[in-house]
Amino acid sequence: MKSLKKIIYISICFTLVLFTTAGFAQNLTGVVLDNTNGKEEAIVGATVHWLGTKVATQTDIEGKFSIPRTKSGQLIISFVGYQSDTLNISNETDLKVYLKSENQLQEVVIRSGSTAIDRLSPHQTEIITSKALAKAACCNLSESFETNASVSVSYSDAVTGAKQIQLLGLAGTYVQMNVENVPSLRGLATTFGLNYIPGTWVQSIDVGKGAGSIVNGYESMTGQINVELQKPDISERIYLNTYVNSLGRGEVNLNLAKILKSENGKPRWSVGLLTHGSTLQSNIDKNHDNFYDLPKYTQVNFINRWKYESDKLMAQFGVKFLHDNRLGGQIVKNPLALDDIIYRFTNSTNRVEVFSKTARLFPNKPYKGLGLILSGIIHDSKSQFGFRPYDGKQNTIYGNLIYQDIIGNTNHTYKTGISFLYDNYHERFADTLMKRTEIVPGAFFEYTYKYLDKFTAVVGARTDFHNLYGTIFTPRLHVLYNINPDNALRISAGKGFRTPNPFAEYFGNLVSSRTVRFLDRIKPEIAWNYGFSYTRHFGKSSLIVDVYRTNFVNQLIADTEHPQFLYFYNSQGSWNSKANYANSAQIELNLIPVNRLEFKVAYRYTDVWNTIGKPFNQDITVRKMFIPRDRVLFNVGYALPYDKWKWDFTLQYNGTRRVPNLSPSYQHTSYESMPIQYAPAFVNINAQVSRSFRRWDVYVGGENLNNFTQKNPIITPDTPFGTRFDAGSAWGPVVGRIIYFGTRYKLGGII
Amino acid sequence: MKNILFILFFATIFSGFTKEDPPKTAEVKLKTSAICGMCKKRIERDLGVTKGIVGSNLNLDDKVVTVIYNPKKTNPKKIKNAISKIGYDADEVIADQKAHDALPGCCQKSAAPHKD
Repeated sequence: MKSLKKIIYISICFTLVLFTTAGFAQNLTGVVLDNTNGKEEAIVGATVHWLGTKVATQTDIEGKFSIPRTKSGQLIISFVGYQSDTLNISNETDLKVYLKSENQLQEVVIRSGSTAIDRLSPHQTEIITSKALAKAACCNLSESFETNASVSVSYSDAVTGAKQIQLLGLAGTYVQMNVENVPSLRGLATTFGLNYIPGTWVQSIDVGKGAGSIVNGYESMTGQINVELQKPDISERIYLNTYVNSLGRGEVNLNLAKILKSENGKPRWSVGLLTHGSTLQSNIDKNHDNFYDLPKYTQVNFINRWKYESDKLMAQFGVKFLHDNRLGGQIVKNPLALDDIIYRFTNSTNRVEVFSKTARLFPNKPYKGLGLILSGIIHDSKSQFGFRPYDGKQNTIYGNLIYQDIIGNTNHTYKTGISFLYDNYHERFADTLMKRTEIVPGAFFEYTYKYLDKFTAVVGARTDFHNLYGTIFTPRLHVLYNINPDNALRISAGKGFRTPNPFAEYFGNLVSSRTVRFLDRIKPEIAWNYGFSYTRHFGKSSLIVDVYRTNFVNQLIADTEHPQFLYFYNSQGSWNSKANYANSAQIELNLIPVNRLEFKVAYRYTDVWNTIGKPFNQDITVRKMFIPRDRVLFNVGYALPYDKWKWDFTLQYNGTRRVPNLSPSYQHTSYESMPIQYAPAFVNINAQVSRSFRRWDVYVGGENLNNFTQKNPIITPDTPFGTRFDAGSAWGPVVGRIIYFGTRYKLGGII
Repeated sequence: MKNILFILFFATIFSGFTKEDPPKTAEVKLKTSAICGMCKKRIERDLGVTKGIVGSNLNLDDKVVTVIYNPKKTNPKKIKNAISKIGYDADEVIADQKAHDALPGCCQKSAAPHKD
């Protein structure tokens, strides 16, 4: 009986094998061509492979290929610079495939759902699409990361309203922030920069973790964030957004786009205007400490840009202008005070930016390109902290010339070029003057090796000649290994270099009676970052695990252990020392069990240490302040077809973090025996409902729905001119629950 | 504890939204003046966010759109008017002239038939 079963089994197997081999005996042949200019030209070296299998080949010198047939019915043809084509194959024999040129110097990216992972990029990159941005409904870049597991946003103090991001356990200053690949939010703009880009201007945000590409410079340490704005040639003609919240903040964003001239259905000249106006004029003091919980402010902000596109040339140029005015501090004069003085924080920022991006394209060689990025920035910021004034001016000129080509075939590509940076800073805080001019010409080369869709390695290095700090050599390495189409491993390593701007980066700490002391001449910060990540896709769902370490060779230490001083000094240590480092590990699960229902669960562990004690000639390694060790993010979203109704719910758990000891009776006499204080963990809940109509969207939502606030975020608010006043050490939300309502109106989109 | 209660509260709201039984629906077929895939996308999307409409599918071969709707909230006359406002004919209701003229050239009635 048993043997009979076996025989049947074997014969079934045998027939199956017979059938399959018979069915797929013949190879599938074809040719891959480009017919952009009406002429047929062979594409050499294009990858041809069956979806879901390891069977792959490449086209030869005539563009021809021959591939064994498999059970997969879908053939994918891809080539750098062209849109990949997927063909359904049943019994076709001789194929003729025309690939469409991408016509852009960008990598191919799959953008679906609300969280996307750039599958082809050797850099670990998450893409926050406009769909994910709509989940947070509001309002500027600092709120755009609400549903992102990697980036967290926090207030840095209880007065200025400035927000800071954290990535891999380190402050946002260690992240290179680009707007359309132009370094933008750097230098003095790091203070309020996240408030300078309204959410409705943003098309998508790419969050890259770990060392970035050397093409964009040497400043990226823990990652790079690139913001893509609404494009004038593909946006809606009119996009109007209004927003109001329960605190009295009002916002209007109006985006206009117009195609001026088009040829053969493709836009040639287009122009876009992105505008923003917002204000908050109510007195908010929910904790009754006679300090504004949020500063009153007004912001006016716009970008005007022009775009030209032809087969051979793509050019963009534009101008940005920003004015931002803030008033915080005490609301009324303390009635018990004998003198007639009031503690006020004011800031007025004006910023003008001009930029241009030009790319020379080679229509039949989409892998080849020459690009030039130019930008100029004037940033002028004036502030008052009680009696202490701060003036900061920054003038920047930046240029980057990039040439991209292949060596032999597209398995070997390279980018090379030269860059130039001129940075002029002039800062004065009370009676401390800081001035410097940086002139940095540099050159870079980045080589990419690609083996089918399996393996990609990017090796890059740049050398910059800094007028103040000598020659800077920056190497970076990225490796992507696709075990199979659904499993990917990434490794990255690289060095970063940046000049810190103590006042702009620790702006919130200036809202205090601390005396600012520089113990050293501030040296540039240098760090090495190493990382590893694993991505697994199953269906539409995905699982991401990553581990990163940042090790500082030199770090600027802002020491706030002593309640009456803010010390700045250089850290001690070398590249492999365990003096100043940040370890970060994260696991993220994106689950889409059924269409239109999305879950995201993420846990992040960070372990960040600093070596401090120089003011007392001591040496002690302690946890870095204000960095929560544990963070959990949970997000669920559900939508009806076409987003007719959409519900979204987010919960964040922020673990305990070390905070300075600000008890008015505390005497700081030693680093070694100082008591270590922790702030409690807290939960933050946000939710939103939106309804789409033909042209309108309306949304209503709430932030901090559980109404958690930090008690007494300001130390001795009654005596702001006393010796222990400190509003720069807030660790949690200062304002409670916020309910908001907004509308979006879109007219003249493509669909 | 308070937070947990809060979460449970929200979870109930969400499950309430998602598990709700679909209401009884009706179906209507309407001949439109759609031309191409873009028209199909536009009509299906705009109908998708219109009150009372559960779903729709436009067949580009015969230009007939099949609309599934909730008869308590809408009726075929209202649906025809909605299609007219998007810029297309729906049976006897001809396209709203203003909406039609605002469509891209390739989607207007004067455009030559094309597939994509």
